[in-house]
Amino acid sequence: MRKALFVVGLAGLVAAAVVTAAVARPAAQAAPAQVAACTNVSLGFLGPLTGPAGFLGQEQLSWLRFGVQKYNRAEGTRFKVVLGDTQLKAPVARTVARRFASDRNVMAVIGGSESQAVRVSGKLFQAASLASVSGSATAIDLTKGRPYRTFFRVIPNDAIQGPDIINFVSRNLKARNVVIIDSQDDYSVPLSSAVARGLRARNVNVGRESVAADDTDFSSVVANVGSNVTVVIFATQVATAANTLSNQLREQGKRAIVFGTDGAYSPSQFKPRSGYVSVFAPDLHFDPRARAVIREYRRFVSKDTSGAFGPATYMAAWVAMSAIERACADGTATRAEVVRQLRRTNSPSIIGPNIRFDAKGDLRGGGAFVIYRITNGKYAAIR
Amino acid sequence: MSTGPQSPEPPRIGVDEWVASSEERRARSVADRLQERLERTPAAAKLVALALPFAIFPLLVDSDYLKQVGIDTLIFVLLALGLNVAVGWVGLLDLGFVAFFGLGAYLYASVASEYAGRHWEAQFAVPAIAIAVAAAGFLVGLPSRRLVGDYLAIVTLFFLQIWLVVLINASFTRGPNGISDIYPLKLFGREIVSLNGYYYVTFAAFVVIVSFLYLLGRSRTGRAWRAVREDELAAELMTMPVNRLKLMAFAVGAGIAGVAGALFAPAQGAVFPASFDIVLLITVYAMVVLGGAGSLFGVTVGAVLINASLEALRDPDDASWLFYGVVVLALILLMRPRWLPVAVLGATAVFGVVVHEVAEQVRPSLVSGTTFGTASVDRLVDSWVLVPEGAVGPDGLPAGALARLAYIGLIAAILALTLIRSPLWRAIALVPVLYLTFCVWENILLAQPAVARFVLIGAMLVALMAVRPQGLFGKQRVEVV
Amino acid sequence: MDWDKLVQLIVNGLTLGSVYALVALGFSMVYGILKLLNLAHGDVLMIGAFIGWGVLGWLGGAQDPVVAVWLLIVLMILAAMVGGGFLGVAIERFAYRPLRRAPRIAPLISALGVSFFIQNSVLLLFGANFRSYESFDLVDVEVGVSVGPLNIWILRIVVMAAALAMMLGLWILVTRTKLGKAMRATAFDREAAAMMGIDVDRVIVKTFFIGSALAGAAGVLVGLVFGSINHFMGFGYGLKGFTAAVVGGIGSIPGAMFGGLFIGLAEAFSVGYIEDLTRGRLGSAFSDLVVFLILVIFMLVRPQGIFGKPEVKKV
Repeated sequence: MRKALFVVGLAGLVAAAVVTAAVARPAAQAAPAQVAACTNVSLGFLGPLTGPAGFLGQEQLSWLRFGVQKYNRAEGTRFKVVLGDTQLKAPVARTVARRFASDRNVMAVIGGSESQAVRVSGKLFQAASLASVSGSATAIDLTKGRPYRTFFRVIPNDAIQGPDIINFVSRNLKARNVVIIDSQDDYSVPLSSAVARGLRARNVNVGRESVAADDTDFSSVVANVGSNVTVVIFATQVATAANTLSNQLREQGKRAIVFGTDGAYSPSQFKPRSGYVSVFAPDLHFDPRARAVIREYRRFVSKDTSGAFGPATYMAAWVAMSAIERACADGTATRAEVVRQLRRTNSPSIIGPNIRFDAKGDLRGGGAFVIYRITNGKYAAIR
Repeated sequence: MSTGPQSPEPPRIGVDEWVASSEERRARSVADRLQERLERTPAAAKLVALALPFAIFPLLVDSDYLKQVGIDTLIFVLLALGLNVAVGWVGLLDLGFVAFFGLGAYLYASVASEYAGRHWEAQFAVPAIAIAVAAAGFLVGLPSRRLVGDYLAIVTLFFLQIWLVVLINASFTRGPNGISDIYPLKLFGREIVSLNGYYYVTFAAFVVIVSFLYLLGRSRTGRAWRAVREDELAAELMTMPVNRLKLMAFAVGAGIAGVAGALFAPAQGAVFPASFDIVLLITVYAMVVLGGAGSLFGVTVGAVLINASLEALRDPDDASWLFYGVVVLALILLMRPRWLPVAVLGATAVFGVVVHEVAEQVRPSLVSGTTFGTASVDRLVDSWVLVPEGAVGPDGLPAGALARLAYIGLIAAILALTLIRSPLWRAIALVPVLYLTFCVWENILLAQPAVARFVLIGAMLVALMAVRPQGLFGKQRVEVV
Repeated sequence: MDWDKLVQLIVNGLTLGSVYALVALGFSMVYGILKLLNLAHGDVLMIGAFIGWGVLGWLGGAQDPVVAVWLLIVLMILAAMVGGGFLGVAIERFAYRPLRRAPRIAPLISALGVSFFIQNSVLLLFGANFRSYESFDLVDVEVGVSVGPLNIWILRIVVMAAALAMMLGLWILVTRTKLGKAMRATAFDREAAAMMGIDVDRVIVKTFFIGSALAGAAGVLVGLVFGSINHFMGFGYGLKGFTAAVVGGIGSIPGAMFGGLFIGLAEAFSVGYIEDLTRGRLGSAFSDLVVFLILVIFMLVRPQGIFGKPEVKKV
């Protein structure tokens, strides 16, 4: 008898829940006109602060904090930073994105640092009219067809990087036999495949290898590299991995040199005898025009371990803060106003020509990747 | 078997006097009393107590973020309930559990996404996925069934690894890019798009599953499972089909994880291989173990507690409140007599003032920094704990050896504290340790709350196993040697 | 047949394998005595690697060491062994000993907790960035021994030699000394050993110290030969080390050594040949599957491993 009662009660509950679910109307898709008082405005940071790419997020965060401090001092504003650690995981990124979208003080998001975080947060931010400006998400699909209408990035995308690498490897380096190694993540695999296709189209022999993202030993992959191969392209997020790879190539007497991408950039960790690296933003430490910024940054952090990844996020924060300030000119602002102001951005940049966005949210004109030649561990920008 | 004190009455069947009286021999703690009261509560009342807060939660909150957390929490509750079958009821350490969650999510993606070019309705898809994943659980269990305890753990862990390697590298799963164009749930022709909708669908799944598990747990099978957990050999001698029971447990647990996955995928709109990893596994274990393996009420509460804390710890402001609250609460609940925690806290406050004053006189740089916390409680303690200038860089990492040594010293101090037997000395030693804890919290842990929460989960698992392996609401198991 | 490649893969496999063997020894010894799967063992390796890295930095770094290179390496390994050993003892004392009489599942969960705690503590203190040993600056990769057409880097040889020396030392310790005898007796039957006047707790502590010291040393060797370390590295080495212990026969010391080399070679060969063998269908990405499959097959077909004796269940 009790069991029967139990089951009946249960069925009732379930039915009620399902009915509620079915009846529940979709929340109004139009964003609530969110008016902020402009006195207590935060920037959300959406990036991996922990997990395998934590170093990337930490470097960006430290430049972000530097930028916010500098901006606040210069303009007398009181911007704050709210952290949102994605742990390099999509569901976490989505939850964090929801939090930003619900937080009335967050007027712009800096990030997502990784393309995946943009993919899971883009629609949410769009629904909340919340602008996000990324300083490192380079995947092509983030702006192709403008799927996320409030997303901007201050760096070029992989549609630029792929052809850049293909041109450079086939024309400048005149490589006929190339091996491409990916590191099994959502950044590296599409880029590797695109470069492989492009090189094959130019009649370059391409071999493909793959290593796990946290691998540190590549000696057996190196054993697969033929003696006629002259360039090994390694799309990695880990500079020490590129360093080990180039040394293990040399250890086994292979003549191939390593061409690393983005994550491989690190003058302190990737130091081959001879090699190349392409990266989405220049390293200001090599830029004589940026000496003052670097000096200031060094005072801010006390120990500067940064490379090429931070300054772009600094710029992302900078354009976001100026957009918010412009939107706040009349004392209050809505998120939609901030987005409109961002579209009108025309800001001098420490990492290249003035930042202006095209209709898709990319840099106007596409921007350019920077390729560094490394000789005996010394970096020199060649374009 | 033990022989208890001879009782004049004839022994009741299935009740061992010695075991039954074990409760009386132990000192009872707050959690014990809680657990006893829980045991006397009728099942229907427990179900209502569990379901009611969930049922009204979305009506109380306005923020989309909190609703999303609510959905996540319900999914975690489902996972914890599923894991509880193998771990809590049968005593099998299944380290591949989250693979079934992933399988459910990917199966949903394969029947309802633009990529798959199909859009099954949820009332067919979810049960079908549950059955398919349960079958997968059965298959994984098949080779594992001969393996006892530890071997089983490692084989299942390897299955999880194999699953991840395949997910990341196979082309049909789109590799690390994941499948990000999953269709929303369609229930009887209606697409569910609102957060409330997803919440209530997940809630319905929760009610169905928890009731199913309740009936299952009291059934013949449920009792047989517990018999296998307590003594496999004895169970076998009682002619229980031990292997079949284990396989069933695997399959049931996997099926529930499959349902959780099938609801998770559309709620997220995307699935990625990296979502189903060891961190998730350990988090779910922490939920099951904290609440009390074996108790449906316990694991549900455990899942809610852990997920809510993890979310609160994301934000440094909430994190500080939670941290100080839990520390003070733990002292009050665990220390006897009643006045002792008050004395310890008071002494800590005085100790802190003295240390802070001395430090300020001797080396002002030791107190000149500011904490990472912005909550009012942080501002309150800012002039009380030592916050050295530049101990932690703006990147959140300790900049000098001092901060790292303080952290390692704190671990050593806490471990040493457990070795002190005399309650008085322990209370006295607690004072500086507590102060050091607060210093480390303000300086190091608060700089990276996202990492700190996992540190705390790890510490909690170890401490719980040593102090109260049955968890908050689990029943103490009496080991008969 | 490309003989150079084959020999090269053997060299690579033996390097990896000697590290796996060191890890497997610790697993095997602890399991032999306590019947406990020490899931935190891999993290001891990681801590050892970080201790070695700290010593390296303290002694001037790879570019500019203040002592001779061989002395530097010896000091790094010794520090990591001592640190790893004490860490192992602490884990035993605080995480496992209170649970000796608990259900079997309790120490396993405790071990998961320890592992999670250690990994995230290191993440908290040192960050997620890979830390570089800069061993390629310490000794250039072209300094080495020529074997036919191949050049074997001297650090590779150092790593293999160090691992071999430690294994020999352990073998002598277990077979020739009183402690070794006590360890074997405890592993055979803990209660009987206690009745024979062996201080079982002390034997267990020493076993943990030795096993963890070997793991700590293995961490430094990994850092030296592959050049970089991170907070998550312990997981992979722990898993492979465990596989090695099972393949060799858990509880057996020669088994662990053999198992380690076997797994190392299997891994190298699978990376080198999987593409040829599957006609390009599976790339090197799937090489880890081979190792896992070996484990599963062994578990099912010969759970006692190559050198182990089938376990007789006492009731």
